This record gives sequence, structure tokens and C-alpha cells, in this order.
Amino acid sequence: MNKKKLVLSAMAVLATVSLAACSSNSSSKSSGTGNGSSLKLSTSYNNTSATDKTADEKSTLKVAEANDSPFQGISDPVLASNAEDADVFAPGGGNSLFNVDKNYKIVDGGLANQRIDKKAKTVTITLRSNAKWSNGMDVTAKDIEYAYEVVANKNTTSQQYSSDFNAIKGMAAYHAGKAKTISGITYPDGEKGNKVVIHLTQVSPSMKFSGNSFIWGTVEPYEYIKNVPIAKLASSAQIRKDPIFIGPYKLDKVVEGESTTWSPNKYYYGKKAQIKHISINVVSSNNIVKAIQSKKYDITASGLGSTSYKQLKNVKGYAKTGQPALSYGYFGFNLGHFDTKTGKNVMDKNSKMANKNLRQAMMYALNLDQVYKKFGNGITWRANTLIPPIFQKYWDSSASGYKLNIKKANKLLDEAGYKKRNGSKWRSDPNGKKLVIHFGAMTGNSTSAAEYQDYLQQWHKVGLNVQFTGGKTMEMNSFYSTLQAPKQNKIDIYSAAWSVSSEPTPTQMYGEDATFNMGHFVSAKNTKLMKEMNSNKSWNDKYRTKVFKEWQNYMNEQAAYAPDNFAYGWSPVNHRVKGYDISPANTEFWSNMSLTSSKLQ
Amino acid sequence: MWKTILRRLLIMIPEVILLSVLVFLLAKAMPGDPFTGSINPKADPAQIKHLMEINGLNDPWYQQYWNWVVHLFHGNLGNSYQYQEPVTRLIEGRAGNTLWLAFFTMILTYAFALPLGVYAGRHEGKLPDTIIRFYTYVTFCIPVFVILVLGIWIFGYVLGWFPTTGSVSSDAQTWAQTVGSRFYHILLPSLLGALFGTVNIVQYLRSEVIDAKHSDYVRTARSKGVPSKDIYRHHIFRNSLLPIAAFAGYSITGLLNGSIFTETVFSYPGMGLLFVNSISYRDYTVITALVLIYGILNLVGTLLSDIILSIVDPRVRIE
Repeated sequence: MNKKKLVLSAMAVLATVSLAACSSNSSSKSSGTGNGSSLKLSTSYNNTSATDKTADEKSTLKVAEANDSPFQGISDPVLASNAEDADVFAPGGGNSLFNVDKNYKIVDGGLANQRIDKKAKTVTITLRSNAKWSNGMDVTAKDIEYAYEVVANKNTTSQQYSSDFNAIKGMAAYHAGKAKTISGITYPDGEKGNKVVIHLTQVSPSMKFSGNSFIWGTVEPYEYIKNVPIAKLASSAQIRKDPIFIGPYKLDKVVEGESTTWSPNKYYYGKKAQIKHISINVVSSNNIVKAIQSKKYDITASGLGSTSYKQLKNVKGYAKTGQPALSYGYFGFNLGHFDTKTGKNVMDKNSKMANKNLRQAMMYALNLDQVYKKFGNGITWRANTLIPPIFQKYWDSSASGYKLNIKKANKLLDEAGYKKRNGSKWRSDPNGKKLVIHFGAMTGNSTSAAEYQDYLQQWHKVGLNVQFTGGKTMEMNSFYSTLQAPKQNKIDIYSAAWSVSSEPTPTQMYGEDATFNMGHFVSAKNTKLMKEMNSNKSWNDKYRTKVFKEWQNYMNEQAAYAPDNFAYGWSPVNHRVKGYDISPANTEFWSNMSLTSSKLQ
Repeated sequence: MWKTILRRLLIMIPEVILLSVLVFLLAKAMPGDPFTGSINPKADPAQIKHLMEINGLNDPWYQQYWNWVVHLFHGNLGNSYQYQEPVTRLIEGRAGNTLWLAFFTMILTYAFALPLGVYAGRHEGKLPDTIIRFYTYVTFCIPVFVILVLGIWIFGYVLGWFPTTGSVSSDAQTWAQTVGSRFYHILLPSLLGALFGTVNIVQYLRSEVIDAKHSDYVRTARSKGVPSKDIYRHHIFRNSLLPIAAFAGYSITGLLNGSIFTETVFSYPGMGLLFVNSISYRDYTVITALVLIYGILNLVGTLLSDIILSIVDPRVRIE
């Protein structure tokens, strides 16, 4: 539940939902190096039965979107702030500009290609010649530019603007309402042409990856929506009722908050869609297991969790597919405060958790392997770093993370002077003062309650008096408003999760000036490593990978933020579906699917 | 009587104002806000601050309340932060679903409860009466969400007789198909609601019938030789209906309140589900608007009950 809300504001469709990705090589396999889980799920379902042409013509591919509330219905990825909207409008292609490979690196062959000129500090985006909207309109250079206007307009309802966009010349002035146009975006062949040049004050290696925070990855149908003021765009019929798309399917009908139906888009530039009808329905997450068991749906649009896996792993007629999610759980320690004047995080040497030994000991005391063995069902497992394994290249598979080691935990505490004094059963701090550590945790389901209890027990085992903040778990909103206060002393250690963009630079979470650095961890080395990830040298992929791995090991050693869990997003796939593959490199996800029977098997 | 109704309506004004202030304050007192909840490494805190600012969420509460009231009188309930569209349009879209569900449930409830109540009263103490009473007690004891969950599981998933999600099938194309599909979607929840919501009406009606059976006018009718069937139909039934009719106003509001459970279980996009969602998203404008609407409906329902009572029972006059 808590994770859910975290997943809310997604950078772009590509960044959150791999389902929305689209390109042609379909035979990618799940990562060869593994991901740390005992369960191996493949990203694809290899169905060898023959496609049934009449089934494709007459039958409907039924997709379930597991969610507890009706979807908002904003088809525009710039304005949508949650994964549900991206999911239910995914067959439209998510307005994505670029194709990506399995590492989310931008490759040629999509709606547009991208060229970065490091010297001139420009990015040139060139549309393919046959790029059309689903109503037959041409996709133009203006459509690329207009996305930036919608992101940055002074009155926009979009949550996507970030300070990184200020690297585009003239963007800050436009955002502040001081300029009518963005001066740094030019059209060499005119607005109706197929080329856009973006002039920047800096270029960054992250721009090679989809989901980066400089180059926006989607287009807007300018001609179609130009008469709607940007502030009213999200509530307009052009976005909600009759939106147009660039992907393999066009929208037939949307039932507000409930369902969308699709048929092939004859103007699509890529592989032709094979199935004539697709319907996507919202199914309450309480009902999704029953809905699959009674064969009401072929696939799910959103990845499902570990509880439903346990209930569905033996269901007949379905294959189980999945890939590591773009998210991870972590523990954070409160080490200081956020200085609102300078806009920087400051570590406080005298804070309760300032001692590295104490933090490491707390992590060694936890038995995360055992916890996830019991509750994770292979879908959730102990994380070893702060980069999730979906980033096959950057994730350091060799990092050990924090395995249970009570002996070491005790030793670390003894060495640092956290000793039991005067016959007390709890350790006191090195100065002999009483030590009570407050654990902030969000109220979740019965599983998370059991997990938290286990954490407390383990900490008690090494003699640390750890208590829930306020004596109980916290409601999500109050948890974050406590944590995000510039200075707080109610939470000393907390458990939370991040969903991440498909470009993994972690500056927004752990940077010196990041407000989401809620534990206020700052060190010269951390700043340097994160800067290095996007330095000039990092245009070399090998070097960049090396820096990412070094950062992961450094963070593990510091234990200011410590990895908790990784998870699969998994989906059942009915045996009548052919060509299903959720790997990000499969950019023709929807077109590659066909049916082998007119009824679910 | 018109004077009384007018007076009642006038009293409602301060009540509604008080309600709106309370709701507004309580909503604001909840920790969190509509934007901070959606934190994400790529959501820039500066942009969130900017959105808070342009939506006036940083103003003092009385100023926010005042702005809200001024807009209210222009028929503008504000924009939903979560759905990014006007609250009026959002609720409009949902209200229809909820009203149809409530209306249909009510009809079915009366269709079940009236015959049962009369029958039980007529055969007081005999086997049918015992069975009906047993039935009403059992249904009264089981919490409504248990019934709904069991119902959707058995009839929706195991037997597959009814749709399990939404208000209309995505396959429905023509007008007739749409109406049929909508009806099909509310059938199971309203049937369950009706079958398990009869206790009040049955019990009221049963005791009224028993009372009436022993009253003088019935005895007179009997002694005149009026057939028993006619006595029940014309004399007893009509008189026993009085409290039930008075009850109608309340039961409408009761059904609307109950929609929170039904809609959540059936993923039926109505006002109840909207209410639950907007609380967890801190969608203040939607919360206040919905509480206000529910509050007004409750007041109107009460008034309606009194008016109905005075119409069906000439002996009662509200002065």
C-alpha cells in the first residue's frame, strides 16, 4: 500500500512501466547473472503453439490492472502522476519518443532518434519520416517541443518539472513565466519539420538513458490540443475522452475510471498489431487472485506482489513471468537536519545515530534472509545494494550487503562503547546515557506488521532498546510529514521504499541538496562519487559502471542508508497468449502478442 | 405545514455551515497534503512547493475556507488534486452510479421486506414467522462487508454468474447494451444489499401488523364478515405501512452511506469509493465536497421522512 503511493509520480511511461515500452527483438531472456532471488522468473512466455487467426480477429485480449481505486484517466504522460494511468493507456505506446535496449539505453529505431553533441552541448532529436498520430496527423517538431512547455508552464498541473531542466537554455525563464517560448529549443526545418535541436548549458552521460531528468521522453499532439490552456489540459476531453496516440493501438472507448478498449492503429509506423481487440479493466487488488483463478484475464498490466504469487503460483493455464522491479526497500538513519537557508543537508556529529558502528550493528542484527524466505515467496528478497538488479550493468551482484551476524553486531557495539551498564538489559550510549532508538515504520498489511516485529526482536537480541516511534506503526502521510520536516528527532531509523526512474543516478535521493535525503547523510566522498557518475569520463560506459559499483559499496560500508529488499514485478500469462515479453528491450510489446485460441485456457 | 418545512429548511443553513467548517478543519488537520504524498526521486520538491503555492495550500486555514465558500457560491467546488479535474464534474460522473445502485437496492429491499413482514405478522408465532424472524436476525448479525465479499466470491468468481468489477462492460457498444450491462453490474450488489438489509422493515412491519390485528377496527371488520384477505390488504397493511413510509427518508441516506462498503468490494466507481480514495490521497476538495453532500442528504432525508409521515398519516401534523 505504501509502496503504491511512492510509485505515484512516475517520470515517464518508459520509466515506470516496462509494458509501455516498444521495439522489435523479442527473444530476450531473464538476466543471466541472476538477481539474488532464489526464484527465477523469465521476462517472456515462450508459447510455441500456432497463432489462431480467427482468435486474433474475433477474440479480445483481456488485461487486468490491479488497483484499489478507479484510474484517474489522464492519458498524457506529462500530466499523469501515477502508474495506473500509464498502464491503462499503454497500448497507445505512451507517446514514447525513443526505443531502448535492455539497460534502458536509448537506441535508434523508435519514433525518433537522438544525437548528443558533447562539444556544442546540443541534443538533436530527429523524427522518423512516417511518424503519425492515430488520427492521421503528422508528428512534428513542435510536438516534441510542446511537451517541454506542458512540463514547465507556469500554470501547469504537471509534477514533472525538476531543476535539472534549467540546463536547457531559456527553460528557467519560461518556467518562471518571464518568456513566452523556450529559447533553447530550435527547429532547423521549421515547426512542421522533423527535427528539434535542444541547446544546453551542460550535457550529461545520463542523457544516453531513457528516464533521465534533462531530455523529456514523450511527445504531445500540439495541433490537437493547442486550443486548450495548459492549466486545463488535464481535465480536457482531448486528454481524457478522445486522446490520440502514436503506438500500435488506438483508443476505442474509455469508461471513466474503469476500463479502456483498443483496436489496431493503421497509422502506426512499426510492426502491425495482430490482435483486433484489447480491453484493460481495473480490478481491485483484493480480487485479482480470484479473477485470475477464474480465468477472467489473460495478463496483468501492472506487476503483482508476493502474496498473490503464493496464491497463484500453481494456478492452471497460466505461465509466470516477471522481472526485477524499478524499486527497492531500504533503511534510513537520521543523522542531521536540512538547512532551509542554504538548501543543504547537514550532518550532526552528535546525533544519536552518528556512530557508524551502531548503524552497521543494527543492520547485522537483522535476519532479512529469513524474513523474506518466510514472507517473500521468492518475489521479494534481501537487497544487497541501493541499486536494484533490473539495472543489470550497474547493480553490483558481488556486494554482500547485510547478512545476519549477531556476533559481529555485538562486537561492533562493544568496540564503540555501547555497553550494558549497571546490570541493565539494554546497552547505553558510549557516554553511559540511556539509549532508546525510535523506529519509524509505515502501517501496511499483516505481513509487514510481522516483519517489523521481527526487526524489533532482532535488535533487542543485541541489547538495543528499539521502539516504534509513538509506540506503533505510522500512517503513510504522517510518516512522511514527520520525516520530511527539516529537523526532527522522532524517528532515528526508518524503513521505506523508493521507486526509481529507468536512469539510476541517485542524486535526487542522496545528494547534499536533496530534500529526499531524509536521513541527511552528507560526505565528501558520496558527493564526489555521484558527481562522477555523470562526469565527462562517464561517457565511457565501463567507467560509469565502475563508479556506480564503487558508490554501492561505499554506501553499504557507511550504512547511512542500508538496503532492505528487492522485488519482482510479476504477471501471470494465460497459455493462449503468444509473444509476451516484458523486457524493456521488447519495444513492440503490444504488436508482438497474438492469440492461439479464442477462449482463455 | 409549509411554514414548518420552510423553518426546517432555514435551520439547515447554520447546520450546513457548521458542518462545512468542521469538515474543512478536520480535513486540514490530517497529516500530509495532496502533493507530498507522491514523493518520488524524480519529483522535484521545488515543483511540489510551487504547486502547493498556486493551489493556495500554504494560506492560513480561514483564508482557504473563505476562498472555498466564495467559489462554492459560484457553483465551483474546486479542482481535485488527484484527478486534476473539477470536483463537480468528478462527482457528477460518480453520483449517477451511486444513486442507481442505492435506488435499485431500495426497491429490492422493499420488494423482499414488505411481503415477509406482513406474512410474519399474520402468522405470528407459527413456523413461517419463526423462520422469517430467524432469517432477519441472522442477516442482521452478519456484517455487510462479509456478505459482499462472500457474495462476490460465490456468485462472481466460483459460479461466474455476475460481473465482479466496474459499472459497465467494456464490450457494450449500443445504447441498449450499455443500459443492460449497467443493470447487470448493479444486480448482484443490490440483491445482496436487499437480502441482507431487510431486518428493520420486516421487524417494524411485523409488530405493526400484530398490533393492528388486535385493534378495534379490525375486529369490527371481522365481525362485519369482511374476508380475511381483504382485511389484511385494505385495513391492516395500509395502517402498518405508516412507520415504514416514515422510515424511507432515513433509509435513502443509510443506503448512500452503505455504498462505501459495496463500492469498495465491487470496485464500483461511485461516490463511496471516491470518498475512501480521496481520504488516503488527501484530496481535500473532494473530501469536503463529499462530506458536505452526504451531510445535506442526511438532513434532507430526515426532513423527507417527516413530510412523508405527515402525508400518509393525516393524524400527524408537524407544526
